[in-house]
Amino acid sequence: MPIDEKLLEILACPKCKGDIRLSEDQAGLICDRCKLLYPIKDDIPIMLIEEAVKLGESV
Amino acid sequence: MALLITGVAGFVGSHLAERLLKEGFDLIGVDSFLDYYPKGIKENNLKRVRENPRFEFIEGNLLNLNLKEILEQVDAVFHQAAIPGVRASWGKDFSQYVENNIQATQVLLEACKDIRLKKFIYASSSSIYGDSDELPIKETSPTNPVSPYGVSKLAGEHLTALYFKGYGIPTVSLRYFTVYGSRQRPDMGFHKFISAVLLGREIEIYGTGEQTRDFTFIEDAVEANLQAFFGGKEGEAYNVGGGSRIKLIEAIRIIEEISGKSANLKYKDPQRGDAKHTYADVSKAKRDFGYSPKVNIYEGLARHCKWLKDNLDIYR
Ligand SMILES: [Zn+2]
Repeated sequence: MPIDEKLLEILACPKCKGDIRLSEDQAGLICDRCKLLYPIKDDIPIMLIEEAVKLGESV
Repeated sequence: MALLITGVAGFVGSHLAERLLKEGFDLIGVDSFLDYYPKGIKENNLKRVRENPRFEFIEGNLLNLNLKEILEQVDAVFHQAAIPGVRASWGKDFSQYVENNIQATQVLLEACKDIRLKKFIYASSSSIYGDSDELPIKETSPTNPVSPYGVSKLAGEHLTALYFKGYGIPTVSLRYFTVYGSRQRPDMGFHKFISAVLLGREIEIYGTGEQTRDFTFIEDAVEANLQAFFGGKEGEAYNVGGGSRIKLIEAIRIIEEISGKSANLKYKDPQRGDAKHTYADVSKAKRDFGYSPKVNIYEGLARHCKWLKDNLDIYR
């Protein structure tokens, strides 16, 4: 089951409160401003700054 | 109608979620999985509700989630999130209690200011009373916590009342008296006593065992939330007791009887932060929203024992 559209709409980056988008492989939520990926595990968005993955410039 | 539960993976939060889904509400649950006890236990608490398509779960911390957007989706908030434990709240860890019990409550209330909520229910605690001279304890009894945890829960309660006065947020506080039943936190009394008896381990009793507690079965605590959501008076606090006040040692005798095994007791010094007696007068909750605890200590303990016996592996 993919992550709910409505849920995606109401979530924001916990660090900058900016918009996030679903990553192409749907494995996480990306904040382009902070260059952070918030992983989605078992359909649960993990909106914790400590758990976020730093993204390289290329992503 | 959609509702928000904070601390949804916890003991009370997860039971409340199951019940509210059963009542037909849509739910958003938030939990940050604070590591007071293992994450696997909390994930297990959530197993059933996660199967329900009307449940959305966000793993996040109230201090930095975009609460406004989330709150705009809901009609009421059940604020169960907190870091528990009267004994662990002494010492340097107190900052976590300030952060998670006081600051997080303030941040959540602040975000509710411009939202039209039907109710904001705050999970308070009998620990705000401390050692009361008056028994049974009424909502008007003095609040003199004997643990830093109690201080933090009392501060949170004051904040909810303040945000009612200042901003009209329809807050109601429920002061839970020692809640027990399936999925009780592993650091809590009955969980420890029952597992020790089942496994033939020693039970540590702090003090004489003559201290009394007003034990509240989880289903009654959940029912109080639902009733307070519909009928709780804004800005008010209510005792939620179980009507089963007994001595700790008597509770252990009942566990022995139910399990058919004898308890191996080891007496230790009383712990700093433990109240001597708790006993709730629940007439205010009864009057305002019809609260009346249904499960007595014998039935409650029998159900708790049965459940733990079947689920002991989760806690190993
Ligand atoms: Zn960001």
